Amino acid sequence: MLKKNIINNLLRIVGEKNALTEEAELKSFSVDDVLPEIVLFPNEVEQVSEIMKLASKESLSVLPWGSGTKSALGNKPDRADIVLSTKNLDRIVEHGASDLVTTTQCGITLKKFQSILNKENQFLALDPPHVGRKATVGGIIAANDSGPERLRYGTAREFLIGLKVVSADGTIFKGGSKVVKNVAGYDLPKLYVGSLGTLGIIVEATFRLYPVPEYSETYLVSFPTLEDAHGAVMTLLNSDIVITSLEILNPELISSLAKRNDLDIKDDQYTLAIGIKNVEKAVKDQVSTVKTLCDQNGGKGKVISGVQEEKFWDDIRDFPWKLFKTTRVVCKASVLLTQIPQVLETLKRLSDENGIKTYISARAGNGILIISIKGEPSSMIESLNSLRAFVSSIGGHLIIQEAPCEIKAGVSVWGDFGSGLGIMKKIKFNFDPDNLLNPGRFIT
Amino acid sequence: MTTQHKSKSLSRKEKFRDRLIEIIGADGVISSDDELIAYECDALTGYRIKPIFVVLPNSAEEVSAVIKECYKENIPYVPRGAGTGLSGGALPTEEGIVISLSRMNKILDVDIPNQRVVVEPGVVNLWVTDAVSSSGYYYAPDPSSQIVCTIGGNVAENSGGVHCLKYGVTTNHVLGVEMVLPDGEIIEVGGKTLDHPGYDLTGLVVGSEGLLGVVTKVALKIINKPEAVKTLFASFDHIEDAGAAVSGITVRGVIPAGMEIMDSFCIRAVEEAVGAGYPVDAGAILLVELDGPTAEVEALLPIVEEVLKENNAIQIKVAKDAKERELLWKGRKNAFPAMGRISSDYYVQDGVIPRSKLAEVLGEIGELSKKYGLRVANVFHAGDGNLHPLVLYDSSKEGDLDKTLELSGEILQVCVDKGGSITGEHGVGHDKKRFLSLMFDEEDLDAMNLVRCAFDVKGLCNPGKLFPTPRTCVEPGMKPFKEHPLQKAGLGEMY
Ligand SMILES: Cc1cc2nc3c(=O)[nH]c(=O)nc-3n(C[C@H](O)[C@H](O)[C@H](O)COP(=O)(O)OP(=O)(O)OC[C@H]3O[C@@H](n4cnc5c(N)ncnc54)[C@H](O)[C@@H]3O)c2cc1C
Repeated sequence: MLKKNIINNLLRIVGEKNALTEEAELKSFSVDDVLPEIVLFPNEVEQVSEIMKLASKESLSVLPWGSGTKSALGNKPDRADIVLSTKNLDRIVEHGASDLVTTTQCGITLKKFQSILNKENQFLALDPPHVGRKATVGGIIAANDSGPERLRYGTAREFLIGLKVVSADGTIFKGGSKVVKNVAGYDLPKLYVGSLGTLGIIVEATFRLYPVPEYSETYLVSFPTLEDAHGAVMTLLNSDIVITSLEILNPELISSLAKRNDLDIKDDQYTLAIGIKNVEKAVKDQVSTVKTLCDQNGGKGKVISGVQEEKFWDDIRDFPWKLFKTTRVVCKASVLLTQIPQVLETLKRLSDENGIKTYISARAGNGILIISIKGEPSSMIESLNSLRAFVSSIGGHLIIQEAPCEIKAGVSVWGDFGSGLGIMKKIKFNFDPDNLLNPGRFIT
Repeated sequence: MTTQHKSKSLSRKEKFRDRLIEIIGADGVISSDDELIAYECDALTGYRIKPIFVVLPNSAEEVSAVIKECYKENIPYVPRGAGTGLSGGALPTEEGIVISLSRMNKILDVDIPNQRVVVEPGVVNLWVTDAVSSSGYYYAPDPSSQIVCTIGGNVAENSGGVHCLKYGVTTNHVLGVEMVLPDGEIIEVGGKTLDHPGYDLTGLVVGSEGLLGVVTKVALKIINKPEAVKTLFASFDHIEDAGAAVSGITVRGVIPAGMEIMDSFCIRAVEEAVGAGYPVDAGAILLVELDGPTAEVEALLPIVEEVLKENNAIQIKVAKDAKERELLWKGRKNAFPAMGRISSDYYVQDGVIPRSKLAEVLGEIGELSKKYGLRVANVFHAGDGNLHPLVLYDSSKEGDLDKTLELSGEILQVCVDKGGSITGEHGVGHDKKRFLSLMFDEEDLDAMNLVRCAFDVKGLCNPGKLFPTPRTCVEPGMKPFKEHPLQKAGLGEMY
């Protein structure tokens, strides 16, 4: 229990109306069933700094929080005194529209951020899940979340050019700069992408932006066999077609999606979704080439555009969160793109053997598979461990992105951090010597 | 120094050399004065320090053994690629050795289907593209020095090139490295696959200027050659108009592969040197390269032409074929060496400004040039706002160099005042460390030092670079170091 005077001091920093202390209110801020004692919503960066100064003086653990959409990512925290939400830090600091650069406070939701940028016909080239559930810019950076368009644009590391951080002891510092090209000093923004709140609280971010593409179409095409589908993938990737997103959907997933979206395509086959965004003529030309190449490989499909296309990609971006509203087990495998079929086949085998159901959307051009599993907890644990063993044996990685505590108890969330772990621990220690920030959830 | 003292220190040095020879063999250790001269400096020749030895290891294991020896003997070392760096990054340390990676120059793995190439650090940048070109691929970062500079040097400096505007710089194309840490341990971070769990150490190592360890292997991403490429050339009476055109193009939603500007000094020098066909009476020229699907390039070309006209372009030409295009780029890529023709000495700056401020800043640089009575030539990556003002001076003229340095400093101040950076691709190194504080406060530098200390607590790896004032890892005012839990448990030595 936090001492009364500490609570009072925290309340004094943010003001009583910007804090929650009642148990009923705290419930929705628990992480893996660990309940915080207080939730704070600072309005200013200075307040974040004050909170951290107090936290480090009193050795209070702090869970940084955006909208909590990724609170299931990571190990169960060792302790949780304070949840520090950045929600009220939601102002755009400056938008240099003519330079395609913007600096924003990190509590802004991606949805609001994009809508402001869209007014200038620009956007932040990130299409992660949870945007409808108010994912914040800071949380997306910290979790290094992305979506199908990473094929074309990459992840946050590619366009986060500067940031401001409040460190564990309350010091405010910045890294990077506000221009698109800069090599002055270490590239601290890279360190914070995917740091999961363990190295400091990201309060401000500067991004490089892109112009919104003029037009978009998607070719949805199913193949008699996985081999045919992947053959088409390899042909497409080895061509000069500029593809925005390229997903392989397994039959289980496409059948759920087909129903939701009135897609009217075969729902028992591996399906490719090939999205192209560009000036209209380039889209039409390239989609027609894509169609020819896929159909030569035994594919049969249809072109979707407009609202139907947008809805379809919404579902992929938010897969599996939109599809399955409760008790989700989600993991992400990363392998070489030529190894994707092996992973898909392994998953099929595990499904048959262990009586589980797997839904998969594979970022075919990146070698990333987003996998959702349903079944008995013990079968899921067994399957996840077998899957990790297989993926590791071919040089890849498996990360559990979301799972109930009982699953996490049977499968390592992060797997092997590799030979860089020693350095990672030293970095964590140097930035957070008392292990206050998200203790136990990630690097400790 | 007493004789006794000297002979003692000599013998320590000799012993150290013997150890190095044991590790690498006699032909891999350079110790004679006349051979050491070649390693005294990089392309920033104004600073020179002679290393005690140079070693030429053949493998990561040899690098590791050398570094363990340095760690034990507290001898500083500087990694070195081709020595084309422009910030003194590979400048040796007093009483230190140079670790040259030039023998580790093998391409280890060309994996076309997975779009990856794995190389040793001494591989020359252009070799990567040469190795994959026949399959329709290329390695995107293309510094003008690409025929000699190494991937190891590119990684350390996070080098750019003329096509970075659309495709990004080195860090956007490096997926992993193997490196030898300052205590000699060999680690792998990142790799051919994406999304390794843990912190993005790869992202941290790229651009760290050789201060975090010696990179011994690099996994690179290669990309498909575009379907169509169009290179436009436009001449202007005034460089400010060229600058405004660059900003105008991106404001219209066009991101060319690259946009480069050269001023009249450069045009004349380049024409004399390589005859690229630039009009010698122009005030400035702008090269714009569009690439991508044919239909996209065709749709964007008229937009670019329109913006060029709106900004008073005099002549606009589109290269007819690959040969014409290469000639236009040849001029640009030879701009630095060509400057030697109009001035015996020049000093390159590398400031960055927001694109929209190009016209304004180019005007201010012109004013500064007048104020100091020194000519300033401009050739730069305009699309990224990355300026390369070349201050032309005469080293035989008393005071000229001092004036040059002062003028260059003022230019960097202008860049920072406009919200920019002191270096876009050449790095801070030895040369610009005193300017780093223009951009970063003490707190910011402390944070960087926390990173450095996680890697190199003894400060032996390329010391004296980057940071404006030397920083140790336990300094008054810094957070006191607590005992690391690993260490407490007796599992790790003091770092
Ligand atoms: C004519 C000319 C044109 C240039 N054009 C460009 C340009 O367009 N864009 C651009 O970005 N730069 C340019 N440069 C600068 C330079 O070529 C780059 O910085 C290049 O990356 C340096 O590579 P190098 O192999 O010569 O490295 P070096 O100069 O030998 O070393 C550079 C730095 O890298 C470190 N280093 C080298 N190898 C390793 C390793 N294996 N592990 C750890 N650290 C290492 C060194 O310690 C040093 O700090 C140009 C230079 C010249 C002379």
